[in-house]
Amino acid sequence: MRTGKEWIEAIPYIGPSLIVLGIIAVFPILYAMAGSLSDWHLHRASSRTLVGLRNYFELFGDPRFLSSLSVTLLFTALSVLATMVFGFLLALLIQKPFRGKNLIRALLTIPMIMTPVVSALAWKVFFFEADIGLINWLLGGLGIRGPAWVATSPSAFFAVVLVDVWFMTPFVMLIMDAALAGLPREPLDAAKIDGATYWQRVSHVIIPMIRGTIVFTLIFRITIDYRMFDIIYIMTAGGPAFDTQVLSIWVYNTALRTFEIGYANAGAVVMMFIIGTVCLAILIFGLRKVGERVWSK
Amino acid sequence: MVEVTHLRRRKKASPTRLFIASLRYGAIMIAVFIAVFPLFWIILASFKRAADLTQLPPAVFFSPTLDNYVTVVRERFFMFFQNSVIITVASVLLSIGLGVPAAYGLSRFSLSNKKVIMFFVLSVRFVPYIVFGLPLFLIMVNLGLVGTRGGVTFVYILINLPIIIWLMKSFFDDIPTDIDEAAAVDGATRFQTFRMVILPCAGAGIACVTILSFIFAWNEYLFALILSGRNAQTLTVGLTRFLGGMETGVRWGLLSAWSVAVTMPVVAIALLVHKYLREGFTRQSW
Repeated sequence: MRTGKEWIEAIPYIGPSLIVLGIIAVFPILYAMAGSLSDWHLHRASSRTLVGLRNYFELFGDPRFLSSLSVTLLFTALSVLATMVFGFLLALLIQKPFRGKNLIRALLTIPMIMTPVVSALAWKVFFFEADIGLINWLLGGLGIRGPAWVATSPSAFFAVVLVDVWFMTPFVMLIMDAALAGLPREPLDAAKIDGATYWQRVSHVIIPMIRGTIVFTLIFRITIDYRMFDIIYIMTAGGPAFDTQVLSIWVYNTALRTFEIGYANAGAVVMMFIIGTVCLAILIFGLRKVGERVWSK
Repeated sequence: MVEVTHLRRRKKASPTRLFIASLRYGAIMIAVFIAVFPLFWIILASFKRAADLTQLPPAVFFSPTLDNYVTVVRERFFMFFQNSVIITVASVLLSIGLGVPAAYGLSRFSLSNKKVIMFFVLSVRFVPYIVFGLPLFLIMVNLGLVGTRGGVTFVYILINLPIIIWLMKSFFDDIPTDIDEAAAVDGATRFQTFRMVILPCAGAGIACVTILSFIFAWNEYLFALILSGRNAQTLTVGLTRFLGGMETGVRWGLLSAWSVAVTMPVVAIALLVHKYLREGFTRQSW
């Protein structure tokens, strides 16, 4: 059997990676699943009892978990939508060659490259600060008294979304820019000759042609926002009240602040299954028309 | 020649065209301003004295000082810096050492379950980090690895290995298999072909994955926060000390100087080797 022999030859190349991923990726997930079935508190280590699916039943009656879930979904939806739109527009904007394009493009990627913890702190202490922050100072010039952005509801949520949009728009821009630059000229020229306006060309020619890229970018963007921890944790730590407590922060707090390990693990497992389902659904529905391009290689 | 094209372009420039062009440049400039301003502002702030930092309207012209940087060094900056460098470099080298051969194997061997493996590797990237973070913390507590650089380093492989495998496979796929066959005809073994023929062709790919994984590891916060204990804290974890409690308040100057020091290496990489960075980011979503 040819593939059998190939496998034996391939194992020295692929094996080590698979073993390492088994240790640091698969085993922890199984460990979390096992832990989610028990009543397990870190501060009373002896009393770890098996309770079956009770943690899961409790989760879906827990208003704090459910609110975290909805905060996460809203955060993800808003900022994915905004970054997709802004990133795409920005990519269109820089399509025509102009002097200094490479430098401009490099500068535009800085938000995505800067250490997220640093960005979050810069926005929090220099821009969103209530009394001496730049935003409230500018608003003051217009005669508006700005809120204590990251400390009050509902502005904290929008502040966090804003910083995430700032952080991730360059990511979409880079990918869209490459996709646009790689498009064949003929369909666009043909549409132009037929009298299509610029925006008609964008929506009827360009967008359908880069559909595969859009679907993949969407999945990457959704998974990145869905798991977002650092920016939100630094800016608000999940507050005020529980306004910005996304699922990652919920798991972190439940496990490492109140030490309910079993319960936190159950939440983490639910979190994983939700994103898995969403990604699969997008892949299946989004790529049906694009064909097997990705897997056929 | 230059003159001619210049004239030709000038002739076409109607007022509406000029208007649209200037709108475009205006929009690009605004975008650049928004992208760069936070970095510019913390660099500025890192050279300010305490009085200049809290002043309104904000001071743009002031007499600069290096005091913040001096104090930051006294706040054991280099201990954190050392942790960050060791953990980042070690995890990048390990991930590349593991990932590049794996990508070669997945690109060149005809394996029956290749798609399954590629999908498994990709799906690791879609799992939220906290789902790994919590059990890894519990496991590492049992093994006594929390607070060690080795533990954090090993976990950082998780962030970068899947990216490296996917990216490098796409680079290897771009190298024609004729080359392998020619090497085989000359009597090279598969490993010799990989090491002496294919690897040298994949230099750009290696540069891409090295840069990307360096950035991701250097910027990481969640795993470092959970796993680094007291002794292996990285620069990102150390930064939050300057947010202060109720009594000290935010130590603006130190925060800024530390931030600049953390973020400069990655920003420098991003600007100096932007080509590879772009290639890396755009390929990974294909």
